[in-house]
Amino acid sequence: MKLCLSLMLLLPLCGGVVNAILGRKLPRRCVELLACGVIGGSFLSALSLLRSYRHPVTLELLPWITAFDFKAPITFYLDPLSLVLTTMITAVCGLIHLHSVGYMKDDPDYGRYFALLNLFVFAMLTLILAENLPLLYLGWEGVGFCSYALIGFWYRKGSNVDAGRKAFIVTRVGDTFLGIAMVWIFQLFGTLSITEINTMGFLLPVGVLTGIGLLLLAGASGKSAQLPLAVWLPDAMAGPTPVSALIHAATMVTAGVYLMMRMMPLVGASPLLHLAVACTGGITAFYAATCALAQRDLKRLLAYSTMSQMGYLMLAVGGGGITAATYHLVVHAFFKALLFLGAGCIITACHHQQDLFRLGGLRKGNPLLLWSFLAGAASLAALPLSGGFFSKDAILLELFRRGTPTGYLLYALALITAFLTSLYTFRMVYLLLGGEERQMETLPGTMLLPLVPLALLALFGEIINLPSFMGNGILTQFLAPLSPPPAGDSGTEELLLMGVAGAVSLVGLAVAHLRYGGARRELRIAQGERPSPLTRFFLHGWYLDDLYGVIAVRPYGVLARLLWVRVEKGGIDATLDGMAVLALKGGERLGSWTTGRISAYLLSFAGGAAVIVGWLAWC
Amino acid sequence: MVLTLLIFLPLLGGLPLLALNGRPVLARRLALAIAGAELGAMVLVTLRTPQLGVGTLPGGYFLMEDRSWIPTFGIRYLVGMDGISYLLAALTAFITPLAIFTSWRSIREKVGCHFALILLLEGAIMGIFLSLDLVLFYLFWEGMLIPMFLLIGVWGHGNRIRSALKFFLFTFSGSVLMLLGIIGLHLVHLAGGGKATFALPELIGTRFPPGVEGWLCAAFLLAFAVKAPLVPFHTWLPDAHTDAPTAGSVDLAGLLLKTGAYGFIRFAWPLFPHATARLTPLLYVVAVAGIIYGAWIAYAQTDMKRLVAYSSISHMGFIMLGIAAWTPLSLTGSLLQMVNHGITTGALFALVGMLGERAGTREISAFGGLWDRAPFLSGLFLLFAMASAGLPGLNNFVGEFLILTGSFRAAPLVTIFAFTGVVLTLLYTVRLAKLLLFVTPRGDLPLGEISRRELVILGTLAVVALYLGLHPTPFLQLLQGPVGLLTGGGS
Repeated sequence: MKLCLSLMLLLPLCGGVVNAILGRKLPRRCVELLACGVIGGSFLSALSLLRSYRHPVTLELLPWITAFDFKAPITFYLDPLSLVLTTMITAVCGLIHLHSVGYMKDDPDYGRYFALLNLFVFAMLTLILAENLPLLYLGWEGVGFCSYALIGFWYRKGSNVDAGRKAFIVTRVGDTFLGIAMVWIFQLFGTLSITEINTMGFLLPVGVLTGIGLLLLAGASGKSAQLPLAVWLPDAMAGPTPVSALIHAATMVTAGVYLMMRMMPLVGASPLLHLAVACTGGITAFYAATCALAQRDLKRLLAYSTMSQMGYLMLAVGGGGITAATYHLVVHAFFKALLFLGAGCIITACHHQQDLFRLGGLRKGNPLLLWSFLAGAASLAALPLSGGFFSKDAILLELFRRGTPTGYLLYALALITAFLTSLYTFRMVYLLLGGEERQMETLPGTMLLPLVPLALLALFGEIINLPSFMGNGILTQFLAPLSPPPAGDSGTEELLLMGVAGAVSLVGLAVAHLRYGGARRELRIAQGERPSPLTRFFLHGWYLDDLYGVIAVRPYGVLARLLWVRVEKGGIDATLDGMAVLALKGGERLGSWTTGRISAYLLSFAGGAAVIVGWLAWC
Repeated sequence: MVLTLLIFLPLLGGLPLLALNGRPVLARRLALAIAGAELGAMVLVTLRTPQLGVGTLPGGYFLMEDRSWIPTFGIRYLVGMDGISYLLAALTAFITPLAIFTSWRSIREKVGCHFALILLLEGAIMGIFLSLDLVLFYLFWEGMLIPMFLLIGVWGHGNRIRSALKFFLFTFSGSVLMLLGIIGLHLVHLAGGGKATFALPELIGTRFPPGVEGWLCAAFLLAFAVKAPLVPFHTWLPDAHTDAPTAGSVDLAGLLLKTGAYGFIRFAWPLFPHATARLTPLLYVVAVAGIIYGAWIAYAQTDMKRLVAYSSISHMGFIMLGIAAWTPLSLTGSLLQMVNHGITTGALFALVGMLGERAGTREISAFGGLWDRAPFLSGLFLLFAMASAGLPGLNNFVGEFLILTGSFRAAPLVTIFAFTGVVLTLLYTVRLAKLLLFVTPRGDLPLGEISRRELVILGTLAVVALYLGLHPTPFLQLLQGPVGLLTGGGS
């Protein structure tokens, strides 16, 4: 147990460090083998943990920070939630590593790339397995740094560097709230151990819990790209496509959701917080789905769809459905990684074209790529019987079962978003498939191979958690210690809701067909070249970036220069210089007494003596 | 005896170097040998003391030397070492050889004098960290100014005379006030029926007539505030840093600024507990203002050395916040952060110096695309930049987090304001990283890869930065005893 857990974490770390230092000297094969091998080893360790798992394990490896009553050791905690996530992460990341070997085959900077990829996996696993908040924060910031470096991987282009910088800064804004939450929690409980604080929530008034919960939510919003900190994710597409798969599918964006799930036992007692989490998620899901409708860039579209799906996860967490959230998180990781890797293949095969209006004609040429990409799309659109259908339905069911007016309202919002999701997904599919046949480059096997297992998992992901009327779900049972399954649920209600969700998804498909099917595709493209104001509004993400530019980014820069020139140089420094000059002038004035004339000195001496004598006489 | 050795080895060892201007190779090697011997002495202290954190002598010291010096006024040669002094003395002994190594090639004129002054500076700073008699302390405090003044004025760049003068005037006016404060304190102690003494352990607990404590405290605080430096007494620092030679900058950031913060902890708070408690709100404002103001102005800089200098002001704001809050955790954090800041900012100044030497300019806009030319150097730059931005796993995070955790207990609202510094630091750091390391080269600067000498300097610092970030516990244990005594927080 201890060995497997340590191996799972240490292997990617070692791979990353070795590749970072020696990556330039080692031959390409060696670097690739090392990078993929350590993740493979990590995955095997996760599997062996999964097989031998009996009960939660806490493993203290080393002390880290110890001062007075403050203790933050390097301690890991393995429970069903972290185990499910680590297994998923190592599996998906392993496939992404494999895909990267093909994707990066002509890039000379392979050493840096694989080093960062390995370190990213290490940081993510640390985040998931951390037993205390500072250690979680280490992983949290670690993935932040790796994503900064990976998004800006092709650093010669300024816009790539800016995108990485933006991701780092925006998520850091969220991290600051997480930091405040941590110091507050320590102040209240005198410990930062997650297992300990999670048992002590009842000690606090609900108002304080809400406060802590909102700070955690703000932190989670940064990493999981929720409003109002969602702006970094679409730009993050500047990185290599496997990185987008890594960051936006399996790993970094789910960190925020994971944090909320992890801390729910503490802050869950606050109904207001539940509402805030659910609303953040619901609104973000809707916001991002509308933006995805108008995107022309394949990767940006997928980025917005990720944001929207993260909204669903938040919605589920806010609705109290930890199991549903975990379920959709895992299935989403499969189909989104698949879509991004597929997109990477498409873009590479089509001479680095990623404009949907210029792509098209992918009906033939590469059936493996085509069908696996379609499998991913079906799962994203939640077409009946795909993995995404069941997992998204679990969330909808959870909301509906709340039985409160807000529950129904959020259910309706989620259903509208489900329709939009299906619509934008099939818009993308029609744009990709329609049009003239095109010549595609052949792709290396390492790029295509990982698509197969991912496509199977995306289509048949439901096997990990079948709905209750089809037998008990494995995941539901596994996660039962964390979130007990609702008792006495009726299969009919569940079936009915499934029918509604399935119908909504099919309606989305039908609308997409009516708008983009056949010859209508060309018409839409022609229209899209001159977008209407509403389309532009969606295309630019509701102008959120411009808003932040006006209220935060530009004023900060302008004020910085103003502070420097006017306050620092013109104010403080000039005042002090003025004082120096004044002292100098005063000195000169005084100095004029030293004329060298004895008579003047004698006169001063006499005057001074007179004053002293007079003063003595007076007293 | 070992404390006397620590102070006087560099002070006396530096003197013969003054005569070695004509033989630069010998001067360099001798200077490095002396600094190495000093480091060896520090290792000796470490090995010979069974439990470093535990003070067996009164006041929590584990080493002390006491000799009569000027008996008429009760001035003694009193030096002592506890966990705090040990840590800072170790930092001094560690940074100085690296500073000597950074100026190995770049100093070509009056080589002997240059290295002699670095050693004199080391001796004076050692003296500051070890003195427990106020007059002795003052002597070293002033003594430190002269070598630094000359280092900037003689071997500096740009407007060096002006910067050197500015440095001298600022810090000197502060310390003259402190001298008045020291004499005043002595007289008050005498008037209160105590015996004539300048020894810190005896002066602690002096009772003040009403109204006097505030003034005496202010005199001390001003001297330390200028040196630390706190906003608005900081303007000497960017000029001094920008115009100082690289070794001077490393020493200035790594060691000199620490003496100000050390003064607060060792002298101001224990001597004037009531006055400092009353001044705490003001210090909070000054500390948080420093964090935000320094970081904000750093964002607008065009000269990379000046940028690092302003980042220094921001970091010192965090340290001041920890001192002002005066809780066990925050003070521990501040002390550790003093070491961390010495390592990280020292490394950044060394890096900036290396780049400046190569390119002949420090204008940020002249650089760009360094990663293409010198990937290893760039990687190290990114490492230290991230350490400075407080990335966990690296050294600065530990200190910063302890400061914030500890301060939140004393002043939640102030701490929340201080948290903004976490974001603002990242803003200028990634801006600098972009302009220096990334994009394409803007000019045709001769930017070669790291040399072996540079690798030794930066590699050593990087190892220490990682060690402090991943396993700071031994250092924190060291501080537990003395900090517990100072804050009454138990140990």
